[in-house]
Amino acid sequence: MLATSRSTAAMALRAKPSTALLPVRAGSAAWISTSPSKPAQTGNVGLVSHNPSPSLAAAKARHEVPLPSQEGTKGALQYALTTLDQITNWARQGSLWPMTFGLACCAVEMMHLSTPRYDQDRLGIIFRASPRQSDVMIVAGTLTNKMAPALRQVYDQMPDPRWVISMGSCANGGGYYHYSYSVTRGCDRIVPVDVYVPGCPPTSEALMYGIFQLQKKMRNTKITRQWYRK
Amino acid sequence: MSTILRTLRNLRRIGLKEYGHQLQHIGDTKAGTLIGVDRFGNKFFENLEEELPLRTRWVDYKDYREDPSQIEPGWHAWMSYMVDKAPPSDPILQPGIRVWEPPTHRPNMTASRSAYKPYSTTKPKYHAWTPVAKPRE
Repeated sequence: MLATSRSTAAMALRAKPSTALLPVRAGSAAWISTSPSKPAQTGNVGLVSHNPSPSLAAAKARHEVPLPSQEGTKGALQYALTTLDQITNWARQGSLWPMTFGLACCAVEMMHLSTPRYDQDRLGIIFRASPRQSDVMIVAGTLTNKMAPALRQVYDQMPDPRWVISMGSCANGGGYYHYSYSVTRGCDRIVPVDVYVPGCPPTSEALMYGIFQLQKKMRNTKITRQWYRK
Repeated sequence: MSTILRTLRNLRRIGLKEYGHQLQHIGDTKAGTLIGVDRFGNKFFENLEEELPLRTRWVDYKDYREDPSQIEPGWHAWMSYMVDKAPPSDPILQPGIRVWEPPTHRPNMTASRSAYKPYSTTKPKYHAWTPVAKPRE
């Protein structure tokens, strides 16, 4: 096996060529800078309201493209569509029905989320046994190669909109069984994942925090505004 | 958990405006003493007598679009029942007394521009396999 064909094949499989990474990595470290270059617009970045912090941003002038969550609302139609999006997102956050894909010990922590101490019912989360009725799939545990087609089939059976929470090290990237012959190295090789919850296993609080992150992602989703944009 | 009498009792204590605010965000009607406000403006409440266990301390966020990581470490310890005394009355929970402590609390920056982006500097241990087949004659 030639090393050149191997590397070209690996390059062809990538979404972006890896040469795009190199100038970023070799260049300034401003892209990992934690301080926002425009602190006045993003008011909720630093937690202290009188946040000073333009310390690292003075290195080099960058071309800033606003994140989708940072774009403002312009025009009457966008305001109307924003309201529609907010209503839809509110409804989505309020009744999050997970498909429980409990595969290993992480499922025990997922069960703890439904017990009275963490009480997922107050968030409107009800475990469903059928993928046809569920919005979000919580992949909890080690995904093996034998289970992977079933996971993909269950994901395909879920109606849109659907989300996936990858719970635990094994579902995130193989974890302890990364070099095993029979384990899929991360469930994101099978399904698109929205939230990764780290831990081995993650606590129920961590899973609940992952659900909060997913709700935060839903809040920033532009549903009707996406087709409006050109 | 909540009864009509409890809701009416707490409504009489907190007033209609706060009732609507709580119903919008917490989804419950709770009355308690204001323990403190952190540096960002989150308000922390406590009612040890009347609320059920593990529901006796709660927070009224300043910005509900954010997630719970905006709570500072001292207040988080108090919210999670790790300590009895709240940070205003506990000297070791004060922010800024440790040298290794960052000056400002930073929340989880996931899904923002400052999100953590991992990368590896080591050589990968395995490579993708591209089968090379000799074409049929």
